[in-house]
Formats: sequence, C-alpha cells, structure tokens
Amino acid sequence: MPMAASEIASQVLDAHERLLIDQTIAAHRGRPGALLGILEGVQAANAHKFLSMESLRYIAGETGIPPSRVYSAASFYALFNLEPQGDNVICVCRGTACHTRGSRILLEKVCLDLGLSEHESGESKETEKLALTTADNRFTIRTVACFGQCALAPVVEVNHHILSHVNERTLQREVKALTQGRK
Amino acid sequence: MLNKTISVRIDGELITAQEGQTILEVARANGREIPTLCYLKGLSAVGACRVCVVELAGTDRLLPACTTPMQEGMSIVTDSAKLELYRRMAVELLMVERNHICSSCVSNGHCELQSLAQALGVTHVRYAYNNPRLAVDMSHPRFVLDHNRCILCTRCVRACAELEGAHVWEVASRGIYSRIVSDLKDEWGEASNCTGCGKCVQACPTGALAEKGFAVHEMAKESGKISRLAGQRART
Repeated sequence: MPMAASEIASQVLDAHERLLIDQTIAAHRGRPGALLGILEGVQAANAHKFLSMESLRYIAGETGIPPSRVYSAASFYALFNLEPQGDNVICVCRGTACHTRGSRILLEKVCLDLGLSEHESGESKETEKLALTTADNRFTIRTVACFGQCALAPVVEVNHHILSHVNERTLQREVKALTQGRK
Repeated sequence: MLNKTISVRIDGELITAQEGQTILEVARANGREIPTLCYLKGLSAVGACRVCVVELAGTDRLLPACTTPMQEGMSIVTDSAKLELYRRMAVELLMVERNHICSSCVSNGHCELQSLAQALGVTHVRYAYNNPRLAVDMSHPRFVLDHNRCILCTRCVRACAELEGAHVWEVASRGIYSRIVSDLKDEWGEASNCTGCGKCVQACPTGALAEKGFAVHEMAKESGKISRLAGQRART
C-alpha cells in the first residue's frame, strides 16, 4: 500500500535521514553560499525528492542559518520541492509556442486521466505554476514556462525525457506504459 | 579616518559631501526631501520600492537615491514632472498588489504609504486591482500580521535581522506570490526565534504589522525609534 502524500510530508526525521543531512552539511561546511548546495543535496537524497519542513528545521538548526532564510531560499527556487513528488514526474510546457499548439488541452487531459483537479491547490490560477501529485503518489504533474524546444511544440517532459509534438494519444500511451510498468 | 570631500550638485545647488554617502543621505543632510518607503535610517538600504528615484545628468536611467553612492561631479535632480510620474506609478502598483483598504486599516492616518500617495496626488489607480485572498495572522499574543497591507518593503526583515538579531522574518516565494514569513512559515505565535520585541511592528510603514488592541485609525508607528536604536548601536 503506497503511502499518501500527506503522510509522507508529516513524517519526522529518522536517524538515517539525519545522518544524510549531517553528511551533506559537512560536505559544504565553510563554503560561502552553502545553503543552496545543502538543500540540493538533501533533496536529491530524499526518496520522494522533496524537502520536508522537518528537514528544513533540522538544516537551520545544524547550520545556524535562520529558519526564515532557509525557507525563503527553498520557496524561491523552482528547483526545490516542498511537497513529496510522485514516482513519475510529467512536466507539461505552458510556454507560448506550446500553448498555441494545444498544451492547455494536454494538461487538462492528463489531469483528468490521473484524477487530478487543476484548481485543487487553493491559490492556483490558470497562469500559476502547478505541481499536483496523485493520492497514490505515482504521478506528479507540473507545468513549466518553457523548455526552449519551441520548434518541437507541444513539449511534455516525462521523467526527464523530453517528448516532442505530443498529442493526447501519445501522452495517454506514455502514462499507460508508466502505470503498467510499475505494476 | 576622514572620507574624501566631493562636490556635487543637487537641483542645481552646489553642495559638498563625503565620499561614500548615498544620494539620499546627502540630499537629506542638505534639507532636500526625497520620498522613501522601503528606506529606514539605520537599516541597510535595499532599493525595493523605487519611490526615491532621482534623475542624474548624463543618463536617462532613474537611480534609486537610497542605494546609489554620491560621486564627484554628479548632478542630481530630486523633483521633476518625470520623477513624479514614476513615483506615482510605483505607489499605484503597490496599491494594486494587495488589498489596501484604508478605511478599515489600523494604520489609517498613520500610514507611510497613505501619506505618500496623498503627497503624490494619487486620487485613483489606473491599473487593475489584484484582489488576492490573503490571511491575517493573529497567532502572536501581542501583534498582528496582515498580509493584505504588506508592501514587501522588508523593513521588518531588516529590523529583526540587523537590530534584534533574531532574523524571524524573510520574504518567501517570488513574484506576486511573495509573502513575509516568520521562521519556517510558522504562525507568528509559534515562531521560536521571535523575542516579541516589536521592532518589526515599529519599522513597518503600513498596517501590515500592528499591535493588538488598537482600533482603526489608532496604530501610530514609531519608526524614529528604530533609527535611534540603530544609531546607538552603530556608535558602540
């Protein structure tokens, strides 16, 4: 039974995670601007590729950097996730070129297929960056402003692999393959 | 150590200044008022609000007076139709971003944003209001944080970090989603680093940070106290 995203997010740090964070901090000790490196390292070591509030608190405590500054940095950069990420990350480009080639429909379609509502996350508006994770933690849908692959529009990135000229069918097939591959 | 003396012009008048002083410091020392919002004497300058912009002869770019150091031979204009236009625009954009409803604000009548808008003759706003839905944090026993009134000037951030040394406040996220947060986005009352000194409240130019127990129109801020404290600290 996969754990729900909310359960993962509220977990306290165990000894192993603490050790990992300690090692990451030790590796960056004394370097100016170490915080970004630490956050990146800790996120990469996390099984769900995110920074939990507990780990941020622990980092702040260990490094002596004010917690507010740690949170500020973690929330500013799109690279850092404050929510647990799904096993598969699907990133739909919402840049102008992709938009004109129908990326809005792709996004809606893939959200529908996975049972996600685009308007779920409170403040979310059409223009806002979006990161939704399914309840079973299998898929995360994100949007991005532009991949820089406008000639291949519409572009969808699936697990860091860029698919070009995507249509509803190919995207659906891709999602299906991932779902079955995992079973 | 004595700094080098330089001679500059402000609004055509020849003035001597010390090297390393900012345009704003020189102007104020010589009785010329440049409006400011995010600047608070004693705290570091960030140049966030763009209200203190001035014209410099020889360039089309407007420069923020609070962060630009005065240099030998500079000729500054502190007041012109162009500057007024840009200052008014900066204030209007601040007004648009959050829900600045003066009539129901604790700081009505004691608000730097309001006074500045009045001084610049902002009678209406030309841009579409953002109308964000924002929370009010009442969790602190003595103080209130109202995101609706915040202009992200970061005076509270600097007062807390530089004077109190607690660094409770910071700006999180970015763009229109930027918010002032205490500690790890904890509720203010739960922020363990907060000493409850209230310096942030006194530094806040608007009604975003206020003391509890004040009705609308009552919350007068004493930002001068912050500057005085900073001055005393610098001397020791």
